[in-house]
Amino acid sequence: MNKPWHLDRRTFLRGTAGVSLSLPFLECMGATEKTTVAASKPVRLCAVYFPYGAATPRGKDADLNWSWMPQGEGADFQLGESLKSLEPFRDDITFLKGLSHLNGRKMGGHDTADIWLTGAQFKGGQFRNSVSIDQLAAQQFGDATRYSSLTMSTDGGVGEPTRSSTLSFGRNGQPIPAHNRPRLIFDRLFGVNPESAEKQRQELVNSGSMLDLLLDHSKSVRKNLGKQDQQKFDEYLESVRAIEKRVDRSQRWLDIPKPEVDASGLHLDSDDNTPEEYIQTMYDLIFLAFQTDSTRVATYQIGNMNGATSVAGKFPQLLDFGGTLHNLAHGAGKPGGMEKLGKWEKYLAEKLTGFLERLRSTEEGDGGHLLDSTMVLYGSSNSNTHNNTNYPLMLAGGKKLGLKHGQLVNYGADTPLTNLHVTMLNRLGVPSDGFVDSTGELTEIMS
Amino acid sequence: MNCLFATACFLFASIIFSAEEKFDYARDVRPVLEQHCFKCHGPEKQKSDVRFDTLSTDFLKDRPAAETWHDALNALQLGEMPPDDEPELSAKDRAALTGWIEHQIATRRAAQKSTGGEVILRRLNRVEYENTMSDLLGIRADYAVNLPPDTPSEDGFKNNGAALSMSPMQLEYYLQAARDGLSRAIVTGPAPEKLKVTATESATDKGKGNYTNRLGQGAKFILKLEDFPYEGDFIVRIKARAELVDGADFPRMKATFGFRADTQTPFAELGEVDVKSAEPEVFEFRGRMEQLPLQSRTQSKYPGQLVWITNEWDDGKKRPISRQVETIEEKKNPKNGKITKKKVKKTEYIDYPDVPKIVIESVEYEGLVFESWPPRHHAQILIPSEKRETGELVYAEEVVANFMRRAYRRPVEDAEVKSMLRLYSRIRPTVDSFEEAIRETLALVLVSPDFLYLVEPEPGGKKGTETPLTDFEFASRLSYFLWSTMPDERLFDLASTGELRKPKVLAAEVDRMLEDERSQQFVEQFSHQWLDLGSVGRVAVNPEYYEGWDNAIKPHMQAETREFFEEILQNELSALNFLDSDFAMLNAPLARHYGIENGPRGMEFERVDLPADSIRGGLLTQASVLLGHSTGEDSHPILRAVWIRERLLDDPPAPPPPNAPELDSENPDFAKLSVRQQLEAHREEAACNDCHRGIDPWGIALENFDAIGNWRVEVRRKNGRKFVKLPAETETELPDGTVISGVDELKQYLLEKRKDQFAKAFVSRLTGYALGRTIEFEDEEAIETLTDDFKQQDYRIQSLIQAITSHKIFQSK
Repeated sequence: MNKPWHLDRRTFLRGTAGVSLSLPFLECMGATEKTTVAASKPVRLCAVYFPYGAATPRGKDADLNWSWMPQGEGADFQLGESLKSLEPFRDDITFLKGLSHLNGRKMGGHDTADIWLTGAQFKGGQFRNSVSIDQLAAQQFGDATRYSSLTMSTDGGVGEPTRSSTLSFGRNGQPIPAHNRPRLIFDRLFGVNPESAEKQRQELVNSGSMLDLLLDHSKSVRKNLGKQDQQKFDEYLESVRAIEKRVDRSQRWLDIPKPEVDASGLHLDSDDNTPEEYIQTMYDLIFLAFQTDSTRVATYQIGNMNGATSVAGKFPQLLDFGGTLHNLAHGAGKPGGMEKLGKWEKYLAEKLTGFLERLRSTEEGDGGHLLDSTMVLYGSSNSNTHNNTNYPLMLAGGKKLGLKHGQLVNYGADTPLTNLHVTMLNRLGVPSDGFVDSTGELTEIMS
Repeated sequence: MNCLFATACFLFASIIFSAEEKFDYARDVRPVLEQHCFKCHGPEKQKSDVRFDTLSTDFLKDRPAAETWHDALNALQLGEMPPDDEPELSAKDRAALTGWIEHQIATRRAAQKSTGGEVILRRLNRVEYENTMSDLLGIRADYAVNLPPDTPSEDGFKNNGAALSMSPMQLEYYLQAARDGLSRAIVTGPAPEKLKVTATESATDKGKGNYTNRLGQGAKFILKLEDFPYEGDFIVRIKARAELVDGADFPRMKATFGFRADTQTPFAELGEVDVKSAEPEVFEFRGRMEQLPLQSRTQSKYPGQLVWITNEWDDGKKRPISRQVETIEEKKNPKNGKITKKKVKKTEYIDYPDVPKIVIESVEYEGLVFESWPPRHHAQILIPSEKRETGELVYAEEVVANFMRRAYRRPVEDAEVKSMLRLYSRIRPTVDSFEEAIRETLALVLVSPDFLYLVEPEPGGKKGTETPLTDFEFASRLSYFLWSTMPDERLFDLASTGELRKPKVLAAEVDRMLEDERSQQFVEQFSHQWLDLGSVGRVAVNPEYYEGWDNAIKPHMQAETREFFEEILQNELSALNFLDSDFAMLNAPLARHYGIENGPRGMEFERVDLPADSIRGGLLTQASVLLGHSTGEDSHPILRAVWIRERLLDDPPAPPPPNAPELDSENPDFAKLSVRQQLEAHREEAACNDCHRGIDPWGIALENFDAIGNWRVEVRRKNGRKFVKLPAETETELPDGTVISGVDELKQYLLEKRKDQFAKAFVSRLTGYALGRTIEFEDEEAIETLTDDFKQQDYRIQSLIQAITSHKIFQSK
């Protein structure tokens, strides 16, 4: 497994001039203060999102069995049919009832996936978002790993504002395109570059020079642009700066071989036409990325809320759950609809359970397991279709990070979801006094 | 009367430039507020801090006021207001109130999004990038494979500058694609040997199989290449003839390339073609070796690359390929001369006379193919020049300058070239070859903004319709509109001599561009995005409902609409054919799917004249549209309706409000209701009715078409395990009060009453695509002019393209 490390790239280049270094030497080089904490104790964050909310039957009919949110409160919560598979994880999970983004309340019924991890108030016609919590975490400890974060979704790319197909947003609220092809993700994480290390280093050095020149050149291009073009052009400039940093990072990681991973059980060519293999593989890739410490931050959006264009819409249809994601969600109120939706949710929950199981059964250096140092947020940004309140939310793992589990806490309608975000950030070692419209931490889930 | 009045707002609520505003605040809205709302939200009481009598009606300037109005709209639509103990609003009052607020919100939204009629700096989208790289480097390849999907604009176009974004990951992949592409385009070393392999008899592959020259179903002809190159262009030539069967489709020849890796056979398709003639013909398939699965040089268990040739003809019937035949074999014992008889089972391949065959006479592989060495793609970059001998740096400067001009699509200044050469000079001492340093320098050009974006600088900082494009910017705008790629040398030349914008020259160039095969890109991209043909891929068809369903037909459905568009474009037919036509573009599987007899016999699309009583004709009867807007089990009238309003009428309904209730009913008999009845039940909720009265009817009229686009008079629906049948109900009242039934009357209505709206919508969409931006309020005049012209020119698309390209809106920044 890779040990995280940190060194000054310029010293490194000057001092070595193409001589390939052995790993132990690299390990001797001191980490900066910022990464020391992260380096000694890896902490991880994973957020998995499903669209359109969940089954929320009212009253006391038979449908209650299919309620996504468990019945009861505190330690006595009872899991319904759909989340039964999580029973063995009772002590590792907490259900958070009632939370929602106050800023999302006035947004359209299908518009809120964009802000699930950001809590932003979309302003103006351009819908400018703000930074998401996973990216704050990535800024804090992303330097310790080969990749600062892993952003995935079924639809890939960024989607369009209010129909986002990514959960992650950078410092300026710029959407971060999600990867949606397992093969490509695998190659990034574990693929071996056939070029020699020497050649790769040469290319990286060249890239560094290129980006320097590009930045100079681009600034002069920008000057001659109209005002609106300049705003658009800034995305490009930011990207050049960001990959300059990536080039630095890649140089630092060049001599550390990528972890070897057995790909035989992975369905790397699965896609939206084979949802069973696809969802499984996406979870597997997150797990492998965490296990090999290739990254410590991951987001995965199972489907976006663009009923008209999401390729994930047909998942339940292909798996014989009798409708598209959108249909199942909208049909929940019809007779038998709650059960139909619930069965799909059960299927999804089982996939999640498998992922948690792998985390829990993987030991980590000091006797614990990966799940205890990994926070997994699972949920959506509607309670049920179109309703921007009372999101279905579950937080798992991270016991070693100061989270208390084994309970259902009902926060009612007035607590902002950003309070959860602040609580998570602080436990992850990303000190936060506040996040967007937060009013404090959720002390009930802190140990 | 009320009903008519109420529906008006749905039609106009979201039209930005609806000339007439239906509701006036003082006349229609304020009296309603006074009567119903002021009591609690007026001068005396301000429940929940809401006060209407003094609330600003300026949605553009007063954001908090706009939000309060928005809240009020939500409360109305949810039925929260007026409260239960107060009288309900009359339908007319309700319509006035919600209609007015919706209109104001739509106006505000449009104003916020407005770019003031400017094209926003456009990045090349995936398709444009791939085409441009292919032209620039001279090698066609999937350069965009790793790039994330492009974000479409609200009206569905993927070339809208404001919607297209950039990210570090993307830039990283641009750099990778540039390096890979340049490494291929620039060759080193002497000319490789040319290889030619010919076979007149099939080789065999591992295991049993019907390896033969006469291909029916399941048979194969294999050409084996013991030796083969790893990179470069090749041709496979197949000489073959058909054994046709009367009344059956043509046999379909498919060539596949790959190798045998023990149990697996990695392969890629080279192509497919109908074999129509009993006389032998030669068919050519071209490709690049490095884009195909290739065996590694290390000794393989089954060495050699394989070309498989098969007959893909299929009429849906299942026929066993072979049968086991028992024969008796006699064996003579050499020692004692005794003869023993033994039963032996043998596989016999069955010859079905009703299956048309392909007879292979010969197959030839030729690789590498190049007309000269170094090949053209190399010489296009490392141009032949005397300076080559003068010195590396001098030559490098010439090479970079030449490449930059093509990549930037404009002349470049010395200083720009010098600045790129800084990289060359920095790298050259650290690498072995000149080519390597050049490759890196040109890669830098390919990640520069001047290449990745259609940069239209405006040093004065002014943009908009008052500032004309330069000739080179204009050439680019033209070629990305009609070809989705960079201008060719002729356009460059005309731009540099300043001829391009002379009306006669321009008109002739537009004609030339539309005749050029690159205009296929326009047909493909525009028809796909305008009509949302991608929807076909998003719907999964439930085979329980449609027995024998095969996803293989989906691409044909999309192709039908594309071919239909092309037929109308290239033959200068009226665009009103989109609404209704007396012909269809069909191939064999699609004709069969539609149940049209004596249709085409091959996979190629042909124009088929429809009888007067045909149910087909126009876009509304095409399976791409019908399936793409269905549930995969049944029709989806709402999706179909939204499609009509969005794509054909440019009048998209407002998105669902927050907390809109589900299509829900406590009625256990809900499943037994017809779709029309279900929607009627839905509309009983005032909140739903507000919008859906303007939506649903458009889709109801298409109820005679099932999910996969076939005619039905009964709707099959699963209730528990059983299928129940309900009559397909198509009678409906359109928002303007016209009562129609079925698709014919819908088409007739569109042609009679909505012809102008359709024409304007089409002009608006095409202009938006041409410009790469959303059409806005400021463009109203231009759109009107173009629409009038379009009508006068009998709705011919080519004329419209001529009109757009010569219009100021297209010629300025």
